[in-house]
Amino acid sequence: MTNSIPPSPGGILLDVNGIGISFGGLKAVQNFTLKMPRGCLYGLIGPNGAGKTTIFNLLTGVYQAQRGTITLDGQRVEALAPHKIAAAGLSRTFQNIRLFGDLTVLDNVKLACHLRGRHGIWSTVLRMPGFLAQEKAITTRAMEMLDVFGLGHLAGEQARNLPYGDQRRLEICRALATEPKVLLLDEPAAGMNPSEKRSLAGTITTIRERFGLAVLLIEHDMGLVMDICHNITVLDHGEVISVGTPRQVQDDPKVVEAYLGAPDAGMQAEPDHGGTKVMQTNGHGGGGGSGDAPAGGSHGTA
Amino acid sequence: MAAATGQPADGSALLASVPRHRPGAGEVLREAVVPWFGVLAVAIVAQFGLEAVLGEYGARVAQQAGVYIIAAVSLNVVNGFTGQFSMGHAGFMAVGGYVAAFVTYYGSMLWFGTAEKMAYPVVMGVSLPLTMGHLLMLGGIVLGGCIAAVLGLLVGLPSLRLRGDYLAIVTLGFGEIVRVMLEQSGEQMFSVEQIRAAGPEVWLRVPVGGALGISGIPKYADSFWIFLLAAATCLIAYRMKQSSTGRAFLSIREDEIAARAMGINLTAYKVRAFVFAAFFGGVAGGLLVHAGVPFTPGNAGFQVSFEIIIMVVLGGLGSVSGAVLAALILSVLPELLRNLAEYRLILYALLLIGMMLGRPKGLLGVREIWEVFGAKKTTGKNGVDTGGKAGVA
Repeated sequence: MTNSIPPSPGGILLDVNGIGISFGGLKAVQNFTLKMPRGCLYGLIGPNGAGKTTIFNLLTGVYQAQRGTITLDGQRVEALAPHKIAAAGLSRTFQNIRLFGDLTVLDNVKLACHLRGRHGIWSTVLRMPGFLAQEKAITTRAMEMLDVFGLGHLAGEQARNLPYGDQRRLEICRALATEPKVLLLDEPAAGMNPSEKRSLAGTITTIRERFGLAVLLIEHDMGLVMDICHNITVLDHGEVISVGTPRQVQDDPKVVEAYLGAPDAGMQAEPDHGGTKVMQTNGHGGGGGSGDAPAGGSHGTA
Repeated sequence: MAAATGQPADGSALLASVPRHRPGAGEVLREAVVPWFGVLAVAIVAQFGLEAVLGEYGARVAQQAGVYIIAAVSLNVVNGFTGQFSMGHAGFMAVGGYVAAFVTYYGSMLWFGTAEKMAYPVVMGVSLPLTMGHLLMLGGIVLGGCIAAVLGLLVGLPSLRLRGDYLAIVTLGFGEIVRVMLEQSGEQMFSVEQIRAAGPEVWLRVPVGGALGISGIPKYADSFWIFLLAAATCLIAYRMKQSSTGRAFLSIREDEIAARAMGINLTAYKVRAFVFAAFFGGVAGGLLVHAGVPFTPGNAGFQVSFEIIIMVVLGGLGSVSGAVLAALILSVLPELLRNLAEYRLILYALLLIGMMLGRPKGLLGVREIWEVFGAKKTTGKNGVDTGGKAGVA
């Protein structure tokens, strides 16, 4: 697989222009700009506390941007409530998994179909033919979605009883059931072992192609990000410090500085050990060193 | 849509592209129509069977239990499904009760000249619980439910926008406000002449008896009507649980942030749940006032609200049949323990504590009784009969 940007007939799908937010005196995100073409798999990386999740919260309306604009497929969404942004076509997963634990796996996905089809109140109470048809369609579609993720056999289980990796996958499945144009994944590989990560990388590339989505990925595992993303934006202290292809970003001295600390700052700037490690070892086996973009990487994308 | 988003023409990608299922006549009959006959059957059995099996006193206890089923099942939609904490259900019951009592009492006095119960029509040797008085009662109950629902909207709209315990505080206050306002209401008028002569200043004071409560309401709430509405409430609540609305309610309970991200309008659904509960709370109150139960402003107090909350929690937050079961148990238990005099309150408390220790999620949790016992149930068939009362679904 190559990390070239795929052809994007529709141009820019998600256009984020200079958004920012401060919490009291803390400038969490400043002047963040992002141009995501259609069908793009975009990485958002940065050391801990750089503001990545805050950006997700701004994009999905959990926080209101104090400055700047967000345009999704020609529609301005920065002032909309979260449920309206979801309806406009932006869906997300969460860093700390947020499934509906007491509901079944199937109901988690059926709930997410709500945006594209729901029942009227009288139709529900009287259980009219329209209700039966709609419910059947929702169930069929939810089962199809579960099968895409290999979760079909778990449909009747309570979501909270799923193993960790399956919970992560179910969250992605649920987000996809809202039929988004852009899917935001917040550290989907956190806590996964290497083989789970490999299968996740395969899943992400598959769903991008199958559902024709653009994916914005926050991830700490550099190997994964470098392997599958077409484009990367690097964030530090709430500001964009580098944008480009994986190779360009890896070679950028500012990025190296953000992760390793400035060479002359030495003792004062505390290096982020976690970041250092993944940067140097490049995640999982086979990938090149930090200066060498692992084009054609180790993940099977089928 | 597929073209606009560049999505592939892969049929499985979109809900809209799932082939439409056309339900056959058999399926529609089984899913939509038959359950209503089940509701009717419960009501008929209750009307002609309860007194024969349980005796007059037992039937009265069962009728009260039936009313509490409506109250508990409807409150369960807010406290159980949606995970909000309402402490003012008795307030809505009292509003519905007083409105229905007002309509039946003064309506009967003005139109029929008396608030005595009318003679029941006898068809083929069976006396039927359907007179003009009953129609007046049903109108009053529906009106009471609607007024309770409007009040629910007024109370819910501001307080459900906020997160946390605001709803609990506001609803607790609402119940008390209703109670105090009812205590300040005007004296009840007991003669037709007085009622005919009353001017607007008398009606404006809402003559429903003040602190003494309203009395002399004809007992039109026969077992038939109580269990018809109880079974219907259960059926409607269960169907709601099985729909996109119910899933939205439950998702809000489970995780508001995730629900919002999945496109759920939190305030709209919370308010919907709250108004639904207020309406059926009002209906329960309307039935109670016609069941020969003394009705005073104290009925709006928080003790009554708490009783219903206990039923919901005990039965299982989110379980329709659990709420039914708990309403039955908690209505019958005090009667069974009556011989123990005041010790029964201690025993009652111990039983509750024991249950919460043994089953902290309530008797059934979020599941229905037929999901806990026996084979897996498919949507929409008649459920296990929960004590012959309201297990239709």
